[in-house]
Amino acid sequence: MAQEKLYLKGDKLLDISNYEFKSIKNALRIGREKTIKKVKDSGLKGRGGAGFPTGIKWEMAAEVEGKEKYVVCNADEGEPGTFKDRYLLEERPLKVLEGIMLAAYAVGADKAYIYIRGEYSKSIEIFSEIIETAREKKILDANLFDSDFKLELKLIRGAGAYVCGDETSLINSIEGKRGRSRIKPPYPIEKGLFKQPTVVNNVESLCCAAEVLNPDSEEFSELGIKGSKGTKLLCLSGDLNKPGLYEVEFAQITLAEIIYDLGGGIKGNEDLRFVIPGGISTAVIKAEDLDFPYSYQAFEKRGSSLGSGAVIAVSKKHDLIDLMLNVSRFYMDETCGTCFPCREGNRQINKILNAFKEEDRKIETELISDIGNTIRLAARCGLGQSSLNFITSVIENYGKELKFGGKIYA
Amino acid sequence: MDKLKSLFYQDSLLEKLHQIQITYGYIPEAEIENLSEKYQLARANVYGVISFYSMFYTEPTGKYIIRICDSISCHLNESDSVLRAVKSYLGLKSHQTTEDKKFTLEVVECLGHCGEGPVMMVNNKIFTKINKNKALEILNDCM
Ligand SMILES: Cc1cc2nc3c(=O)[nH]c(=O)nc-3n(C[C@H](O)[C@H](O)[C@H](O)COP(=O)(O)O)c2cc1C
Ligand code: SF4
Ligand code: FES
Repeated sequence: MAQEKLYLKGDKLLDISNYEFKSIKNALRIGREKTIKKVKDSGLKGRGGAGFPTGIKWEMAAEVEGKEKYVVCNADEGEPGTFKDRYLLEERPLKVLEGIMLAAYAVGADKAYIYIRGEYSKSIEIFSEIIETAREKKILDANLFDSDFKLELKLIRGAGAYVCGDETSLINSIEGKRGRSRIKPPYPIEKGLFKQPTVVNNVESLCCAAEVLNPDSEEFSELGIKGSKGTKLLCLSGDLNKPGLYEVEFAQITLAEIIYDLGGGIKGNEDLRFVIPGGISTAVIKAEDLDFPYSYQAFEKRGSSLGSGAVIAVSKKHDLIDLMLNVSRFYMDETCGTCFPCREGNRQINKILNAFKEEDRKIETELISDIGNTIRLAARCGLGQSSLNFITSVIENYGKELKFGGKIYA
Repeated sequence: MDKLKSLFYQDSLLEKLHQIQITYGYIPEAEIENLSEKYQLARANVYGVISFYSMFYTEPTGKYIIRICDSISCHLNESDSVLRAVKSYLGLKSHQTTEDKKFTLEVVECLGHCGEGPVMMVNNKIFTKINKNKALEILNDCM
């Protein structure tokens, strides 16, 4: 029976008086360079979806010159199916705080922000209390554990816009602007918040970094395989008997085990049709193809991605057009509208699917594919780039069954 | 949460808008005027920021903002039947407010409780694993 490996997940960590801050103390002891080296050597990749190596990001940020440097913890979690960052904020906020401190110390920033999505009232409440006690206990805003490192941390709450999760949109939003993405380059590392070098990291990435530096969990960096190191939080949802949050070691568990052991298999007397492996911006994996170890590279090989860790099981009882419409509506509503093809293309896709459903029209799959390519080419941010991954993967795998016209599908 | 106000990033327009939204239940014209002076922004720009974010309103909302998630995981767990029941019970479509200004209905995307769907939020409070009947009970408790 497949097992969880618990590092990020565990008992509640809310009481600052009983929290030892071992990772940041360790970092302060070994110094900036070694801290960065440890994170680099651990092979940790960002858990916010893009998978950029955290150690390399920190190293680049440490080397950049700037009047001020900022660290931003991205807690704008909004990819449908994802709830791991909320778990960490509500149950393990001290780890998150420690992760922010580590990043700031490593890159030489003395100001940090945590941007929590506005709908997460409980996370906002808990985290603001943590900041308050940390200030009272002179863990923030004061020389930390007798070092010369000081950190000012502010909380900012989002106001309901999925696209703000994109790091450049997030920066605009903190600056009080519309949360539209910025053209890259310059990357936030060079010119981010208030035009200063800025490191944006996901909540889970920062917690992983805290594990890497924790003397009590030295083995953490050895977990997994090359290219997929450490553990991953999985958010299981959909048609499962045991949905919920699980933590697994990379490459030591197959997607089949995740669905049938951890997730307890499919509810009722239904059969699995496919798994959406990383949130609705990722391509589906068919039920027949789950027998591979969970890793970045295994999904990449299958033209998909582990995305945010939202593993959604979909049984055969659902109408595929209905699901495609649901996903399409998401992108139509959440596009920021800056790039014309992303704005209009996603609206067109929704129209085409609706016409198929309501008026029994044929679908020219080539048209969907053309629109998809146009969006991808023109998209300034990941929202547009990935907006058709789910829909095109459903068409490729099930287009024939759906009696779509055209010939994109197998 | 108000006692912790000082912890929020006070200089930010976003935070100011939150506070106005919490105080009035919407962002009144006069406040937009104030903000445009304070931040040296054209009123249209302040308005542009407000309209970008779904949690800010320029018209008064109901006393209870009802948010129901219909993103994929909740949808797989029949959030649409909850939605149909709530819509017909309140006589509202998404983004509408009852005439007595009691309820505003918002059909929203993921609320981050996808393993416990369907999910509904009443102002700041989350309700998980709801169904038609539970949803209507929750609404009745607001009366
Ligand atoms: C539309 C969109 C939404 C995103 N949402 C999130 C999010 O909610 N949380 C997050 O950490 N990263 C999100 N990202 C990725 C961020 O842009 C960025 O890559 C990430 O925060 C970097 O942190 P990491 O390297 O630790 O993963 C999103 C990207 C896009 C394009
Ligand atoms: S790709 Fe879409 S969401 Fe991203 S910046 Fe362009 S219009 Fe906005
Ligand atoms: S999909 Fe409904 S809460 Fe996430």
